[in-house]
Amino acid sequence: MHRRKINRFFGKNSRQGNWWAALLIIIATILLLLVKSDDFATPQNASNLLAQAMPLIIVAIGQMIVIILAGMDLSVGSVMSLTTAILALDGSPYALIPLVFLAAICVGLVNGVAIVKLNVHPIIATLSTQFIVLGIAQLLRPVAGGSVPDFVVTIVTGSVLGVPAPVFWGIVIVGLGWKIVHGSRFGLHLFAIGGGNASGQLDTAHNFGLKDERNIVLAYVISAGFAALAGLFIAGRIASGDPSVGSQFALDSITAVAIGGTQLSGGVGGLHGTIIGAILMSLLANGMNLANLSAFLQGAIKGVILLLVVGLQSRKKMGL
Amino acid sequence: MLPAVTFKGVTKHFGPTLAVNDISFEIRPGRVHALMGENGAGKSTLMKILAGVHQPDAGKIAIAGRQVCFANPSQALAAGVSTVFQELSLLPNLSITENMFLGKEIMGRFGSPHRAEMAQRTKEALSELGMSLDPNTLVSELSIAQRQFVEIAHGIKADAQVFILDEPTAALNAADVQVLNARIEKLKAKGKAIVYISHRMDEIFAICDDVTIMKDGAHVATQSLSDLTPERLITLMVGRELNDLFPDRARDLGPVRLSCQDLRLTPEASPLSFDLHSGEILGLAGLEGQGQSEIVRSMIGQYAANSGKVRIGSQTVLLPVTASAGVRNMQQLSLGFVPEDRKEEGLLLGAAIRENIGIGLQSARPGFKPLAKVADVTRRIMADLNIKAGSSTTPVGTLSGGNQQKVLLGRYLASDMDILIIEEPTRGVDIGAKVEIYRLLRELAQRGMAILVLSRETVELIGLCDRLLVVHDRKIVSELAGAEASEHNILNAALTS
Repeated sequence: MHRRKINRFFGKNSRQGNWWAALLIIIATILLLLVKSDDFATPQNASNLLAQAMPLIIVAIGQMIVIILAGMDLSVGSVMSLTTAILALDGSPYALIPLVFLAAICVGLVNGVAIVKLNVHPIIATLSTQFIVLGIAQLLRPVAGGSVPDFVVTIVTGSVLGVPAPVFWGIVIVGLGWKIVHGSRFGLHLFAIGGGNASGQLDTAHNFGLKDERNIVLAYVISAGFAALAGLFIAGRIASGDPSVGSQFALDSITAVAIGGTQLSGGVGGLHGTIIGAILMSLLANGMNLANLSAFLQGAIKGVILLLVVGLQSRKKMGL
Repeated sequence: MLPAVTFKGVTKHFGPTLAVNDISFEIRPGRVHALMGENGAGKSTLMKILAGVHQPDAGKIAIAGRQVCFANPSQALAAGVSTVFQELSLLPNLSITENMFLGKEIMGRFGSPHRAEMAQRTKEALSELGMSLDPNTLVSELSIAQRQFVEIAHGIKADAQVFILDEPTAALNAADVQVLNARIEKLKAKGKAIVYISHRMDEIFAICDDVTIMKDGAHVATQSLSDLTPERLITLMVGRELNDLFPDRARDLGPVRLSCQDLRLTPEASPLSFDLHSGEILGLAGLEGQGQSEIVRSMIGQYAANSGKVRIGSQTVLLPVTASAGVRNMQQLSLGFVPEDRKEEGLLLGAAIRENIGIGLQSARPGFKPLAKVADVTRRIMADLNIKAGSSTTPVGTLSGGNQQKVLLGRYLASDMDILIIEEPTRGVDIGAKVEIYRLLRELAQRGMAILVLSRETVELIGLCDRLLVVHDRKIVSELAGAEASEHNILNAALTS
């Protein structure tokens, strides 16, 4: 009994997935940077690190929601780019911000309906929308430029209720993610549908009377919504529109989710793992920048870490 | 007293086939009602109609006198019909509680599920079955037996009045079957109606009160089991007597094909030896779990025996053999092994019949020189074994249990094996297919094959085998000729050893 609780805490035989390997690497990286780098433990770097990590954490939460369903969303990066392009249009922020989310909801609906009704594989469906949405973003803003309304810049870089804005919004968005995934009926049904998929019992969730198709579409809408939030965050930071700003985020978010122990086969995963995964990715990037490693080497190291961490997850012993 | 379930003229078509044809009978509360018939007789379809998976084309169903019409299984459960299907229907990555309340969660404040309340109710439902599992345990951590009990608890929680158990014992060992039977008695004492589907005759007579027999989608009879004998029941099911099920025994035996010498399963066990002759069907009998399956599995390297040797022809294999080499080596010595769990260990369910039969031939060949004539071989085997399927490219998973078993046998036939070891040759197979498989095994023996059979069904071993070895406590305690064996003297030999 006791042992089971300990195992579950470390993600063994649990539905959360194994996140301890990623956490160990985070701790090791922090220790290493504290010892080796004088620039790491400065307020300036901490603020940088947080600002770098936030968009990835946000987009990874949305990505995790579709991955728990045994899906995948490759269109998130394009949605982020489109968001910055829309925000850099001429117009009132009170019109542009709703427009951003309207666009995201449309992308999510197209993804979800293509998967559910047309039976397109999630990778193909979201790969298609990735191209479509990127094209629209490039039509709106062929090269980086323009300016984002001050309102957006203020809410992202200023402070809210005396708390630095990234910290405040971080807590709000993570709280929202927790509520969706671990504190709602929808979240539980995500695991049910994904678990049925992973264990080859495709009809089981349906037999329980779950509205599986509606839940799948909703998951893709939520994923696109989180991508729009992440895009909003970046737009506030760079204060302009950039059609290539999201290009790395589709694969980076999947990497963060996988490092955090969420299984791409569906049904196993959790918010804390995903956040740990996203933080690890940002911390590594930050550390490697401080160490002046070349961008090419950084990419290679990211790959090694991904393989290592997922290899250490002892996937067989997990919930499925 | 109102009947728990009343079927009245229930009819269901699937395309042009009539699966259930004008069925009318009643199931009474506080009784265990067996539903019997060959596979394809329509009993599973009828139960799926009752459980809300299918909707009838015509006819009426009443639960406790009230007419019902279910669109899906969760509506049926809400109306008091709980089903434990053959295919497991719990989600492995959810806890017991979450499975029990899935789709009907109790909600607490702020739109969050009320976990404590649900866990408490789950605990109560489990304890009614005498189980003290932690309701937060993931289903993936439970044994098959526990999962089935959880499904029954699911029905108890929903206050079901009718429990449908579709082959509940197919995956259980003897001890778990005992526990299940005790729990069925408990439900019965509470006035619940239980529908019990099984192919095991002894179980039916041990726990059921009434029986309904179906054949080809139609109703044959509904009567009290105390008025029936097993022979009479089989006659009603297939229109044949029990003796007709089994082919004649071998007249004379050929030379020794396989000789197992001084096999010790564990260091403490006393050695055992036996010979298997060409043209013979030899059975390993005895109580369950006494080492029968370890004996055969140690020969193919899936159980690490302590010591021993197996002589096949001029070759001698020293035991233990490693798992990776075992089956392949034995195949080269033309020994085929048909495992008990054909879905898990034997067949590739998603692959075509042709691939499943061909794989035995292909695996004996170099990787880049596959055999081209698999289609011809498959056609011949399918005709020989009377495998009923649309074509040789039909996925095996869509076939009935009997046809699946024949495909598996066909694989070894295609490879011209001299020796065949079969575990549970007719597990989950209906009577009609059983007869065919018995006849087939006898034909193979007559052609000179040596066959070793393991089965939980003693009647089957007695009817089929020429010779029986009674295994008890990891040794052979008695040898009986098939013609002289009876359930009584096998049990006697096992228990007085």
